Amino acid sequence: MNAILGTSLSKSFQHYQVLKEVSISVQAGECYALFGPNGAGKTTLLRIFATLHRPSSGSFEIMGMDGKRDRVKVRDVIYLIGHGSYLYDDLSVKENIQFAIGIRGWNPTEAEIKKALDQVGIGRFARLRSRYLSAGMKKRLSIAKALLIRPKVLFLDEGYASLDERGVGMMNECIRSFTQAGSAVLMTTHDRGPTADVAHRVGVLNRSVLTEISVKDMVTADALF
Amino acid sequence: MHFFRVIRWIAWKDLLSEYRNRENISSMFFFALNVILIFSFSFSLDSETIKEIMPGIIWVAFGFTAIIGLGKSFLIEVNNDCMEYFQTLPIPKGAIYLGKFLGNLLFMLTVEIVLFPLFVLFFNLDMIDQFLQLLLISTVATIGLSALGTLFSALTVQIRAREVMFPILLLPLSVPIFIGAVEATRGVLNADAFSLYSHWIELLVVFDVIFVIVSFWIFEFILDY
Repeated sequence: MNAILGTSLSKSFQHYQVLKEVSISVQAGECYALFGPNGAGKTTLLRIFATLHRPSSGSFEIMGMDGKRDRVKVRDVIYLIGHGSYLYDDLSVKENIQFAIGIRGWNPTEAEIKKALDQVGIGRFARLRSRYLSAGMKKRLSIAKALLIRPKVLFLDEGYASLDERGVGMMNECIRSFTQAGSAVLMTTHDRGPTADVAHRVGVLNRSVLTEISVKDMVTADALF
Repeated sequence: MHFFRVIRWIAWKDLLSEYRNRENISSMFFFALNVILIFSFSFSLDSETIKEIMPGIIWVAFGFTAIIGLGKSFLIEVNNDCMEYFQTLPIPKGAIYLGKFLGNLLFMLTVEIVLFPLFVLFFNLDMIDQFLQLLLISTVATIGLSALGTLFSALTVQIRAREVMFPILLLPLSVPIFIGAVEATRGVLNADAFSLYSHWIELLVVFDVIFVIVSFWIFEFILDY
């Protein structure tokens, strides 16, 4: 089943066309890694699927739902780990989690929150205000939120950015747990090494053209673009 | 029921953040205190004349305090891209508006209640007996101000000239609120019968209802694309 299906997606900002007739599909239980140079439109594509941008033309479906018409329903099954941490500086790590999950209509128990925080290695900072977290810890907190929300489709925008080696390992653990549970993961990245451990398919977006390559080619190629 | 839970979560988050950093509430309070001090040292009037100009002084203080407090209401959502998180949530965006509105209303009422004794002290006014009537007028007028202020804060938060745009949008539309509030306050301070100024309170209630409903409806479009 196609968890993500984009057909002839185009997007322009002012007179600059970022995406031109890009089509992509990601199956349930699959991790798709999207490479490309800066400004290629990777984040824009992700943000279209996350219902943050409306495409200039083309259509997309998330879990069979029309991304434009049913976007409220689409938002129920997706989660985006983007460039922002979506944290409130004056709330503690635990309170930030309670808020982010609670507002979606679910109140996780203390034990569930603790388990998720421990899983990403920041359990001992649960009472610390998030203004004191480093960028890497904030990213880990985003992973913890994703682990609690368990979306059917996870979008990772530069998923490994700011993470140390152990953090990268945790991110990959998280991705694996999602795909094994049948969720789809679409990630943009520049890190070929860790991506090779989790990606099932790889695409290179360059000058508005999406070219699919094998994971092996991604690892061995001198340059992807 | 989830709709009301969203309102509660948003208001909880705003109140807790404000309780911890006290940025907004302290700037509102000290600005209002300044206004009271300046007016109290500018006029040395007898008690009858002071009752005539007092409603104006009270609502100048409350009005400008509202501009300071409400204008910053959505800044907390811009930091760390929290606004983006709201956009991707599968919840009615109007509930986010009502949560922010409720938080703002509580901030402003807190500041106003703290300021009342200062008006009594600096202007040697006997307002203690009329406190409940004044609280009613303040609440009804502040509901309208918060409704508009929350909406315009969301509208202007992403633009560079927000400090200029916010009062330009808020003040003209707040005129009926200020007129109603000043007239009703004058009635209370003159110890008029309630029936003589109740129509001003009714007018404020009508504007409250209009402003809350229209803002609630418009907010959906501000946050969604």
